[in-house]
Formats: sequence, C-alpha cells, structure tokens
Amino acid sequence: MSPKETTAWVDLQSHAYYMSQSHISTLFSESPDRFAQFGFTQDNLLLDLSKQRITDETLNLLIELAKERNLPNWIESLFKGDHINDSEDRPALHTALRTPKGTTLEVDGVEIIEEVHQNLERMEAIVDKIHSGQWRGFTGHSINTVVNIGVGGSDLGPLMACKALAEYQPEEAQNLSVHFVSSMDGSQLADLLSHLNPARTLFVISSKSFTTIDTLANANTAKEWLKQAGNTASEEVLVSRHFIGVSASPDKALSWGIPKSNQLAFWDWTGGRYSMWSTIGLPIALKLGMKGFREVLAGAHNMDTHFKETPLKQNLPVLIAMVGIWNINFLNINAHAILPYDGRLNHLPAYLEQLEMESNGKSVTRKGKATDYNTCPILWGEVGTNAQHAFYQLLHQGTESVMCDFIVAAKRYHDTDNSELKHQHQLNLANCLAQSRILALGDTVIKGAENAPAYKRYKGNQPCTTLLLDELTPHTFGQIIAMYEHKVFVQSVIWDINPFDQWGVELGKKVATNLLDALSPNALIEDFDSSTQGLLQHISMRNK
Amino acid sequence: MKITIWGNELPAWTSAAALAESGNHVKIVTGLDQAGNKNEIAFKISNEPGLQHCIDEAIRSGRLQSVTAEDGLTPTTHIISLNPDEYEIAAQLAKDLAVKHPSNLLIINQSHFGVGSTDKLQELLYEPYNQALAYLPDMLAEGSALNNFKNPETIIVGCSNDWALLNIKALMRPFSQSLKQWMLMTPKEAEFTKFANTGMLALRLSYINELANLADHLEVDIEVIREGMISDPRIGPHYLHPGCGFGGLHFQQYIEGLSELMEVNRNSKLLNTVLAENEKQKEQPFRKLWRHYECDLKDKTVTIWGLSFKPGTASIDNAPSLKVIETLLAQGCKIQVHDPEAGSNIAQHFNNHERIDVVDCCYQALQNSDGLLLLTEWSEYWSPEYDEMLSKMRHPLIIDGRNIFDKEILQSLGFTYYGVGR
Repeated sequence: MSPKETTAWVDLQSHAYYMSQSHISTLFSESPDRFAQFGFTQDNLLLDLSKQRITDETLNLLIELAKERNLPNWIESLFKGDHINDSEDRPALHTALRTPKGTTLEVDGVEIIEEVHQNLERMEAIVDKIHSGQWRGFTGHSINTVVNIGVGGSDLGPLMACKALAEYQPEEAQNLSVHFVSSMDGSQLADLLSHLNPARTLFVISSKSFTTIDTLANANTAKEWLKQAGNTASEEVLVSRHFIGVSASPDKALSWGIPKSNQLAFWDWTGGRYSMWSTIGLPIALKLGMKGFREVLAGAHNMDTHFKETPLKQNLPVLIAMVGIWNINFLNINAHAILPYDGRLNHLPAYLEQLEMESNGKSVTRKGKATDYNTCPILWGEVGTNAQHAFYQLLHQGTESVMCDFIVAAKRYHDTDNSELKHQHQLNLANCLAQSRILALGDTVIKGAENAPAYKRYKGNQPCTTLLLDELTPHTFGQIIAMYEHKVFVQSVIWDINPFDQWGVELGKKVATNLLDALSPNALIEDFDSSTQGLLQHISMRNK
Repeated sequence: MKITIWGNELPAWTSAAALAESGNHVKIVTGLDQAGNKNEIAFKISNEPGLQHCIDEAIRSGRLQSVTAEDGLTPTTHIISLNPDEYEIAAQLAKDLAVKHPSNLLIINQSHFGVGSTDKLQELLYEPYNQALAYLPDMLAEGSALNNFKNPETIIVGCSNDWALLNIKALMRPFSQSLKQWMLMTPKEAEFTKFANTGMLALRLSYINELANLADHLEVDIEVIREGMISDPRIGPHYLHPGCGFGGLHFQQYIEGLSELMEVNRNSKLLNTVLAENEKQKEQPFRKLWRHYECDLKDKTVTIWGLSFKPGTASIDNAPSLKVIETLLAQGCKIQVHDPEAGSNIAQHFNNHERIDVVDCCYQALQNSDGLLLLTEWSEYWSPEYDEMLSKMRHPLIIDGRNIFDKEILQSLGFTYYGVGR
C-alpha cells in the first residue's frame, strides 16, 4: 500500500491545510509552554522541536502514520539482520558493529557479533603497534604519519570524527598525524606528498569493493611516490610496510599487493555510508586510541538501544524523522540546512549530505514503482556562525522555505583558563539561540518591527530543530550520528524506499570509463553528443 | 670537617665516599622525598666501578654514616645533591637549616635545578651572618666518577661570599694535587657554564652522527672524514666518535633541562632536535638489520654485545640497548645478549622476558645467530675470535654501532659488515 493511502496520511493532509496557514510565532503565543511539550531528552541529548510548525495533533498523526507504515516491525527487521537491502539481497547491520561483546546475533547462519569483535581486536593490534612506534617503514624508522585514502563512506565519517574529537587524542597518539585524501584528481594527495617523509608515512587504503577508481588512482600515485623514495627496496616490501587495506573484498586488495596480514576486513552487510563503526574507522582509532573509538561505538549503541526500545512518541530518531516527513510531504519544504554551531563539527554537513541524500534520494519504491510524493530534500550546511555571513540572507528573506537543524554543545572550554575563549563559547551560544529564534518567530521577537520598511522585515516561520548536546565527547558524537542514521531509516520506511543501495551512482562510473578512452589521442568520438564532442575537441587542442 | 650530604644519586655518593676518605665526618641523608616518589631510574651504586668498595671502607672507618633527615641537620656544612626536579625539597631544606644554624652555615649546591636557582636558594638565607650558598657543579662522568672527583684539573665554583669560598677551598684541598685552576664566578654563571658544556658535547656527538648517516648515503667512510676533522686544532678529537647514540642518566637529564630552557626563553629547538635525533640514532643498528633482512625480522635470532650505556658501567639508563631490544621484541625476534656488567639489569628491566636470553659468554650469545649488533664498546669486544664467531653464527652479519671493528678484515673473513657511516 502506498503511504498516501494510509488513513494517517489523509488526515495529515487535511491537518496540513489548516496548519499551513499558521505561523510558529502564533503557536508560541497560543501555547507558551511549547518547550515542555516538544522538548525531548535522551541521555546527554536534548531535542527541541518546539520551533517546528507542529501541534500535539500533528505529532499524534505522524506517530499514527509511522505505525500504519509498520515502523516497529521494520526496526525489528533492521536489528535482527533481515535482508532489508532488497535490491542487493542483504541485511544492513551497522547496529551490529557497535553491539557490545557477549551479545549474540546470528545472521544467515553466522554468529556475527563475535566476528565484529575479532575484527576490532585485530584493529587494536595494529593501532597499538603504530602508537607504540613499532610499525616500521622500509628504512626501519617508525611511522608517524597516516594518510587515509578513501572516498564517500570511506572518507567522510572518519574525517568528520577525527576533526570533531581531536581534543580527545590520547598521549600515545600525540606524535601521529592523520590525513585524509579523497579527490580523484589527485590534488589533495599531490599537496600532501610534497611535504611528507615517505620513510615514515603509512597509507590506509579504504574501499569496500577495492575497485573504487578514485581511491585506487590515489593509491597508485602513493605507491609510485614510495617507489621513487625507496630506490633499493622492492615493491613488495614497500607495500607490505606502508599500506594497510581496509576492505570487504580481501582478494581484490591482495591482488593490488596488500598482503592479508596488512588487511582489515568488514562485511558486505555494512553499507559504505554506515561504515565508520567498522574497521573503516581505523583512522578514528589511530587518532583517539581504541578507548576513544570504543566510546564512540558505545555512544552509538546507546542510541541504538533507545531507538529499539523507546515508544515512538519519545523516540528521538523517530520524532526527528517524522517531523521531517511533515515538513517535506505536508508543508512542501524541500530544503534542509544543517547548521552546527561548533567548528569541530565542520564536516558534519558533508557527512549528512551523503547519509541522507545517498540513502533516500530516490524516487522508486521497494516494489519498483515511481513514488508520487517527495522524498529526500536537498541538504546542505556549514558551521552556523560562518553561514550567517553566507547563506542566512536567503534563510531570512528568500523565497524558499527551509527547515534547519541547529546543533550545539552546552558546555565547552571548561579546562581552559583563557576567559576570552570561554567568552567565545557564550558568543557562539547566543548566536545559535538568536538565529533559530528569528528564523522561527520572525521579527516578532523585537518590538515595533512592523513599522520597518519591507526590506528590513523578517517573515520567520522557517521550522527549526535544536539539538543540544551536554558537551561534545566521543560518546555524544556516537549518539548523534546514530540518531541521524536511524532518522534516515525511519523516513525510508514511511516513503517505502530502500535506503541502503545507491544505484544512481553507477552509470557515471561506466560512462567515465568510455570517456577515458575518448581522451586518448586520435580516439573516435562520433558516438558522443555534440556538447561532449565539442568539449573533447577543445581539451585535445589545449593539450597539443 | 663535619658534613651532611643530601641526595641518593651518583654525585651524592661519590662526594660522600671521597670526602670521608680524606678525613671528613660525613653524614648522608638519602630518604628526603617526603611524597615517597622514587625516581624512575634510581641510581645503583654497584653500577659505578670502585664506588661500592670506597663507601664500604668509609663506613667501616666510621667516617660515613647514613642518617635520618633530622640527624642530618646538625653539621654546619652541607652539600645538596638532589635531582633536577627536586628544587622544592632543596628550598625547604635551606629554610630548615637557616633556622637551625643562625650563623656560619655553608651550603654547597651540587644539583642542577636550572640557571639562577642557587641565587633563589640564597634568598632564603641571611648572608650577613654568613649563611652562605655556593654552587659547585659536578664534573663527574659515569664510569669514572670517583677519579673525576678526586683528581680534577679544574674546579668551577659559583660563589659570591668570601667566607664560603675559603671553606670550600679548604674542603677541596685534598683533591687539588693535579688542579690547574680554580675558576671563580657567580653561581648563576657557574650554572650556565655547566649547562653550556653539556650542551656543547651533545651537539658535537649529534653532529658527527648526522655526518655519519650522511656518509652512509654518499658511500664514504666517516672514519676518514673524522680524522680529517680532528686534525684541525680548532676542532680537536673529543666527543667526535660516531655511534648509535648517547645515553646515561645525568647527561640526558641536563640536556633536557637546557633544551627546555632554550625553548622557553629563546623558542630555540636546537637541543630539542639533538635529543630527538639521538633517540632515532639509538635505533640505527636495528635499522641496518631491518634493511638487511628486507623489513622482515620475524623469528630471527639476534645477538647484542654491550648493553650498558657506555663501557665501564653497569648502568643501562637511557642506553641504546633498551630501544633496540624493545624494537626487536616487537618484530618477533629472539634475542641473545651479553654484557660484562649490565646483563642482570637488562633481564630485570625486561622482566626476564622469555625471548631475551642473557648469557655469560659473548660467543655463546652468537649461537645460531642471524646477526650481531654491537652497541657498547667494552674493550673485550675489540679483538674477538673471528673463527669462533663464524662457526657459531647462522649468518655472519655484524652491525657495529661503535665502529670498533676493522671493516676490511671482517669482510675478508666472510662477514657482512655495517658500521656507523662506513
């Protein structure tokens, strides 16, 4: 049954007709204790939905919709490892990656929790060896630099985590620098290689399939750089001392040259964008130590338990997802801004862009039919205070309705005695609260605004969510990322789409392979469209 | 003279033994650290040649006794010989002594608390009543400390009080036979001089090691270069032997102190780099072995000759052997080690690790060996029985961390030889 055919959807449509006339500022004046009504807590998180254009009735109907869409059953299927990634016929078990030791979960006849922990222990051995300075390069010097080469899920999660949690670097990791390289054009890598010491650099090649051309191109360049530096050492020795492969395709990694002893495995049931909890998280463990990495996992597991066990009406991922459904499908808002008020979370927008848009940016249902409703909106974002000087103009006075997520930590800089730095956090908090207030309530927040000229008016009514962390720690970081993962899953259930595949990225790879041939001298290019032909000719002329 | 010496390290015990031997009545207070913190690398008297004997003699004669802190306060002459990080203890002691002896109190500071610290201590005393503090830097080298103390060529003394100077000269008179000069300066200058000397020596060692590593790459013999260098009288021969790094408890501690001083005041990384490079240099023999075996040492049997940080001592403080053994263990090697003095210290340091075999005979350590690393140039290693070595070793590979062997002879006998910079 299409979601549009459920009773709740129909009811929500008529409710939306009424609500679309209302303004968030009016909702506040009608019900001054909205915060008590729409503020939800879980462990160290507070989710404030009171600046959304919702009432009690909205939430009730949304929860009804979730029930009619069988959400509780889907949640159960997710956790127990049913093949809910139907187009690829496999489970999506990122939750298993953070399940504590001692639990059992049998999937397709295999006990996987034990395997997960065996892999974590192998990872721990590698981390220990590097941290103790005993991973040696071809000259015998210890490794002090790690470069993670990966793209998409093999890059964004670890990159985000390493930046977000850098202050939790333990002493044994202080002398190790961790870098990330992803872009196919080699620009990041070329820049790095110009100042790294080959004798002390270790490359982590992260690729689920070990066929990702972006990653292999960078890995080949890195290998060539090492070969030039290690003139007398054989390629086999160089690769065995300077490359670790993290992959679900061990044989492909082996044929590239990485011996099994230098490989860390994960499983095909770990989606790329859900993989930072697996051995793909090696850079995180190198930066934070295994203890820190395990804290991130524990935070995520805490959210998993909450998601699995809490009634839908108090369930954070469900609430944030269903309010999204309301905005997208009933208030017709198709843009979503991610606004962390925390420089440490500057990679969160890019991470969520992939997580949400690659998961739910689809228009075909699980049964292969075209959807006749909107699915994933366009997401983008930036550190809030910087975005204030960039695109907030559009949020405040543009023609687009945009829903906004404000993410901020209540506590920061408690360990410093620099009072100015503490003051900067107050400044940051004040801006975060001010912006969500104006975006939701408009210029009603100040007296006499109605007398201002039109170009100085703020219409408000942009729905805002505030996610307030007690403080940003490995634990709360794990919690919020897991919360967004489950939010995406809940929305996919409502929309009847498979969030765990990404067929939309395949064709480009194929066509690029054809075009690679077309770029060689004297290639036949008649089969391409005139635009592509024209561009190819121009490139060819410029390279003569 | 009645003297109390406060401290439990090499300079304290050396001063105590030598001063008691020359007729003074010496009390030594060793248990001063009230927090009960023990320095991680505690000084062992037995590591220092001749010292234990000299102390035993002094105790037997009744001129040296170990006493409690309270008992230690009674004499009017004191030598403070504490660790660089124990300034607060010294300050408390100075205050206590000032109360106990309102006049004619001589405190000789032998500790390296940093430049200016003797003056800071002096401020706790009342100089007009001859409560005086002087700085007498120890010029002791581990392994020959007693001789250094008893036969100095130069005595540097940092002192601004005539009464104190007179007393110090009297105290040191028995050791003035071969003395060429007394160098009198302010305590601050004397402290700086001690630091400066130590830093200079470290720089020379670091420089020659850097040159040796370069020589490796350029395939020239550093020994030839070194001889050329020392023929220049402006340079001279001292502290210019390339090797696998320097160690020792005090030398390293002082350089660390000076390095910090330079970094804080001048933002200078010069000595910091020296220290960091020295740590890398200690692993240089490992790296040669690693490259020889193409980066795979798993299950190899490796022999080490020489474990102490230098010949003539059993001390392994900051010794290259520690780093090399750690690294070999991490790579899965079996290690057979020999040292005339330091074997049991190594066994203890590594908790009698099952893959470390400490043996009494250096040839026994070569049984089925895949390579010999020479880390300390004990004299008994200089001219070994090559045939016996060849017959015992599985692979006749020698990595000479101190350049004591003749490269040509070894190669002609069938050894594979790597030195430092040759």
